Amino acid sequence: MKLEVGYIRICDISFAEATEVKEGTLYVNAKELESMVLEDERIAAVCFDIARPGESVRITPVKDVIEPRAKVEGPGDIFPGVITKMSTVGMGKTHVLRGAAVVTVGKIVGFQEGIIDMSGLGAEYTPFSKTNNLVVNFTPKEGLSPHEYEAAARHAGLTIAYTLGKLSAALTPDETKVYEFPSMVEGIKKYPDLPRVGYVQMLQSQGLLHDTYVYGVDMKKSITTMLCPTETMDGAIISGNCVSACDKNTTYHHQNNPVIEDLFAEHGKTLNFAAMVITNENVYLADKERSSDWTAKLVDYLDLDGVIISQEGFGNPDTDLIMNCKKIEATGTRTVIITNEYAGRDGTSQSLADADPSADALVTAGNSNQVVTLPKLDRVIGTLEYTEKIAGGFAGNIVADGSITVELQAITGATNELGFNLMSAR
Amino acid sequence: MSAFGGGTNILVTNNPMASELFESTLQVEYLSASLLDVLVRVRNLVHSGHTLLTHPLSGSVKPNETHYKSVLLSKSRGKADAQSVQIIGECILAAQRFNARQLPARYLRDMQIVDLSIISSALETKKTNS
Amino acid sequence: MSKYKVVHYINQFYAGIGGEEFADHKPELRNGAVGPGAAFNAAFSDKAEIVKTIVCGDSYFNENLSDAKKALIEMVKGAGADIFIAGPAFNAGRYGVACGTICEEVSRELGIPVLTGMFEENPGAEMFKDKLHIVATSNSAASMRTAVPKMAALALKLATGEQIGASVEEGYLPGRARVNFFEKERGSKRAVDMLLKKMAGEPFTTEYPMPDFDRVPPNPAVADITKATVALVTSGGIVPKGNPDRIESSSASKYGEYDITGVDDLTFETYETAHGGYDPVYANQDADRVLPVDVLREFEKEGKIGKLHNKFYTTTGNGTSTKSSKQYAQEFSQKLKDDNVQVVILTST
Repeated sequence: MKLEVGYIRICDISFAEATEVKEGTLYVNAKELESMVLEDERIAAVCFDIARPGESVRITPVKDVIEPRAKVEGPGDIFPGVITKMSTVGMGKTHVLRGAAVVTVGKIVGFQEGIIDMSGLGAEYTPFSKTNNLVVNFTPKEGLSPHEYEAAARHAGLTIAYTLGKLSAALTPDETKVYEFPSMVEGIKKYPDLPRVGYVQMLQSQGLLHDTYVYGVDMKKSITTMLCPTETMDGAIISGNCVSACDKNTTYHHQNNPVIEDLFAEHGKTLNFAAMVITNENVYLADKERSSDWTAKLVDYLDLDGVIISQEGFGNPDTDLIMNCKKIEATGTRTVIITNEYAGRDGTSQSLADADPSADALVTAGNSNQVVTLPKLDRVIGTLEYTEKIAGGFAGNIVADGSITVELQAITGATNELGFNLMSAR
Repeated sequence: MSAFGGGTNILVTNNPMASELFESTLQVEYLSASLLDVLVRVRNLVHSGHTLLTHPLSGSVKPNETHYKSVLLSKSRGKADAQSVQIIGECILAAQRFNARQLPARYLRDMQIVDLSIISSALETKKTNS
Repeated sequence: MSKYKVVHYINQFYAGIGGEEFADHKPELRNGAVGPGAAFNAAFSDKAEIVKTIVCGDSYFNENLSDAKKALIEMVKGAGADIFIAGPAFNAGRYGVACGTICEEVSRELGIPVLTGMFEENPGAEMFKDKLHIVATSNSAASMRTAVPKMAALALKLATGEQIGASVEEGYLPGRARVNFFEKERGSKRAVDMLLKKMAGEPFTTEYPMPDFDRVPPNPAVADITKATVALVTSGGIVPKGNPDRIESSSASKYGEYDITGVDDLTFETYETAHGGYDPVYANQDADRVLPVDVLREFEKEGKIGKLHNKFYTTTGNGTSTKSSKQYAQEFSQKLKDDNVQVVILTST
């Protein structure tokens, strides 16, 4: 499979009469988008806001972040099986509004979370302080259950991103990257001397606020399976995960999976990027055993020399991670795992909930319990009402001068376990 | 075999919503107690030979961000299951690492809903996948 | 701005007194910098200065622990130190343990910042790296020139109360606490690089070493316990009353071997615990609670076991390093084997 991705640089975002892209600025007609969102009778009201890099703005509680993209050539369309009809994606040509993002905000349950600061200390920890954000804040119809609200908000966010992404189709990319993924046999023939490397991506799949969808399939109901890595660039994987802001993979992360990008960067040079396996993180222990058995079986069957395993979430996924690692190492395939730590505020507690000697190569995205004090910012999009309740926030954390003290857990994407950031710990 | 949850398994929970919903289909042991107490009760059942069926640290909601926890165990009893013993031990240690904090009463219902959703999803995947 | 006052601890060797034959040197307080202290002063430039140097023999320190600690604390206090530095000890074992021990004591008693330096395999490193900042040095004193500037820089940071970075940034041994910092490459790229090295069989460094899993496969079952000689071994610190060998209440430097020929019961009058890590009341009331001699004597009489070995081995597990524990066990395991003991019951606390 071959996918060409064209990036159109977006340097600013603004409300306007017409929704369009002109000279690097994304103009948005909020009224148009509003009426589109309100077609869903589950949503009572929606309000739009803009947050640019460097502005004194705090966005919270964040649900999801999505990058606008468009399918230009090739089969299928962006967000297949969800926003567009089911068809395999990952081939042909895709355009991206690089530097723009749709950020969905809204209280689905009371103790939800997620802070994006556009400036100050907090901005250093979230990648979304660097994007020009269209923030969408939903109010659900009265009496709507949290499940329905989550689904409606997820769908609306994707629809808006899809609509904005469409604008990129007619534009000329500032930069183009080609991702070529050969079939197994082709790869072996082409790179006979390179180690064959795979990527095992673990997807959060536990229930309300914890789900991930692949071509619209709820991942907790799937067995471990394979994907062509370029499919993720067309939105084959979608986040329905709203909990644990620091280490949830937003849809944006899935669209821009750094493990996939960095493996492609070495593909044909030092390694042969040969396969991508996706597996789930279910609550049922028998499911964990089955999924990790299946992961190891696929990796063994594909005869890979090494794999990178990425995790999502806190606590019980540590068990999935260690099961995957242990079972894959037992087949003779070398592993590197990417995770984050909960080592306590002073950093002295045991970092992971599970451990095994076979996990001897670990990349950490840092200690999520580290405490940071974020300065008061001029404007809050969403509400600070929940900031005390968010994961990593704590009672009385809003100081009189308007600064807030939270653990990194509260910051969207701060200790992302795909290895999206520079942060680490020792 | 009990590991796949034949018959009425045991649900240890302090979530009234879960207790009510599964009253007729599971052997519910409702505790009016803390999350940690639920884990300790689960540990005692595991030590007495019940097998853990769901992961006690289910969900990414940290142990000090919710009051509620529902854990499913096998009805049948055998020798203490080594993996269950290990997992529940690690979970209790992990849960103890989080400082207890006051959680506002107005979110109790939301916490119950999330816990209920997670345990229901687990039971559902069990039905579909096993 | 006035300079930070530093008190520096060194052993007899670095003070130029002499080697092993002078290791009994008692704590001595000297004015200003001695030996490696001059290099520290140079590295501090005008921000800090060694006001006093404490010289103490390694043997004296380790064999007169409580006296030595007391004397040293008084010296550091008297000097009005802002910061306390010990060593560097490189790979000198007893010097390293002394540096770690005194740093911990100064930190606890006086609450001032403390710092030492040693080689990662120094036993003192294993004992104290989770409690102290220990700057990583090579294994030889020849690297004093590179060790001192690193230690001086970290000492100044500690003195000013600046945020201390991660171990890789500051050069101290990892183990004390996990600290976040920003790498040059993102996590995914680091993972790809690590995997390439791992697949090629090249050395790589994990960013989080797994906890040490020292798993021992169980021995085969004893064929007939009614014929076997059973010995008792404990890390619960049970010793004859008065602790004749002075086994330390924590970080034990030795183990004891005691004869229990003719002893049927450990009583309040005859045995006690030396362990400082748990409430000793119940063990002191009846030491059989930790070392069940009484029950095994009964079993012996009833023919349930062959016989109870006439010696038991004991130490305090509290704070005692794995390395020391292994060394003690290797020694007395051989003795147990030589004595034809087939079964050992290990009791802990």
